[in-house]
Amino acid sequence: MSRHIFARLFTRQAISVVLAVGLWAAAPVAAGEDALAGTVLVKGRPERNVVVWLEDGTGARPVASRKVVLDQRQLQFKPHVLAVRVGTQVEMPNSDRVFHNVFSFHDGKRFDLGLYPVGTARTVTFDRPGLSRIFCNIHPNMAAYVLAVDSGYFAVSDSQGQFILAGVPLGSYTYHAWRPGGQTTTGTVVVGADRKLEIRWP
Amino acid sequence: MTRWIAALSLLLLGQATTIHGQEVAVEAAQSFGLSTEEIAGAGTQARVLGDITPGLRFALEGAWGARSGEHDSDVFGTAYPYEGGVQVIEAFGEYFFAPQRWVRSVKGGRYRTPFGIYAASDHAYVGFLRPPLIRYGEYYALSSGYLEHGVDVVVGAPRLSVEVSLGTPGDVGDAIRRSGVGTVVRAAGSAGSLIVGVSYIDTTPYLPAEFATGRARFGGVDARWMGGGVQVRGEWLGGRPFDGTTTTGGYADVIVHRPVMGPLTALVRAERLAYSAAEPYALYTHRYAAAVRVRLWKGLATSVGISHQAGQLTQSRPTAIDIGVTYAARHDF
Repeated sequence: MSRHIFARLFTRQAISVVLAVGLWAAAPVAAGEDALAGTVLVKGRPERNVVVWLEDGTGARPVASRKVVLDQRQLQFKPHVLAVRVGTQVEMPNSDRVFHNVFSFHDGKRFDLGLYPVGTARTVTFDRPGLSRIFCNIHPNMAAYVLAVDSGYFAVSDSQGQFILAGVPLGSYTYHAWRPGGQTTTGTVVVGADRKLEIRWP
Repeated sequence: MTRWIAALSLLLLGQATTIHGQEVAVEAAQSFGLSTEEIAGAGTQARVLGDITPGLRFALEGAWGARSGEHDSDVFGTAYPYEGGVQVIEAFGEYFFAPQRWVRSVKGGRYRTPFGIYAASDHAYVGFLRPPLIRYGEYYALSSGYLEHGVDVVVGAPRLSVEVSLGTPGDVGDAIRRSGVGTVVRAAGSAGSLIVGVSYIDTTPYLPAEFATGRARFGGVDARWMGGGVQVRGEWLGGRPFDGTTTTGGYADVIVHRPVMGPLTALVRAERLAYSAAEPYALYTHRYAAAVRVRLWKGLATSVGISHQAGQLTQSRPTAIDIGVTYAARHDF
């Protein structure tokens, strides 16, 4: 029985590693650009939901035009951690069975969307950098984080602690990494020379 | 049927992490409570929620509860029974159609009776430690333990929808309706943060057939609004629990959780109920309640409530103080 569980876990991890390597290999790379892959470890273990971004002095990359969604399903926000570029509109649909009242009253973007029914959506523009803690005023166990960064190069780590920043112009960058409940960590990375970034929290 | 549902629930619990790789969540809550009515209670609720395929969701919920004390009381019974051992509360599958479709969802299985403000999350863990008078089974109206075995269809648009349920009773708690087919119809509309609904139920009475003849029929209106951390909501219903009797009643709640209050939520409720029947069975009563809910740490919260009543309710004293502690945890796979 335990061998079966270990085999399943091993298989799942192996698939994730293969997928991550595949994504990294398949990431579009133009001349003068490279993909930066990395791993986040907390106390030596892979950490999900870590936002990693590069300081982007150029501002050359435009805000994504695709719809960014913070969904409400099964009495939970999905995803739990969302990273967006400053200026991004985030749609917050109620895909649940019950009413929700999404709000943010702490740092970052402050808003109160009021009560809205199943099947409807409201939109918030995150127009300045910072962390917004998102809650539902009816369901206190619902919580999410939206981190708006002033950068075109950011990613959120997956369940294996892995992330990929694609299409980064070659050069030296200051990177930042933030995780729920932890301090932001900062360092430098040379895109083009350092193919793999490992971020560790003790 | 309940036994089969329990077996299916256990089977699905075991498979919860492997259903087509879709997201599945498991929630559990453990509560303890004390009341100056010399009653103590403990209860556990567990539920599994998830997607079987895109659009098709399932929900399974079981509860256990026990209560000390020698007399009936509505304390702690906001959304779950506090007696009767382990019981299946809800077990259903629900298919959500594409947003542009006229039919929005179809649900089948065992689910809460869709009359008025009926979702468990509207009543459980909010901070009130007693259900509204019109939702406690022994007061000749509805019960928070009413469940349907049937099919529920929602049609319309998100801002104006109609829900129709056809089923047979599968109740838990003190009020167990007699067998028979029943219908519930609910229409709800919204404008801004105001949501208004009207409901109608035609079902079997929960009292014995030799004394409660005919059908139980109620109509009701409900409304809720929220803004700036203040929620105002209420329900009013009227109808007949069985031949020759009428019940009218309702409640209004104000629930305040503003940013300056931190982990504290303040609640007040005013309610009344009138059951017209031959003396000495008639019941005319009202109750006022205030409560605070404090989130202590992560999923740990405590609620303290005081209620004052007039009339012949199950509450043994005019004024009661209730305290509850709940720890709720959730894991998403």
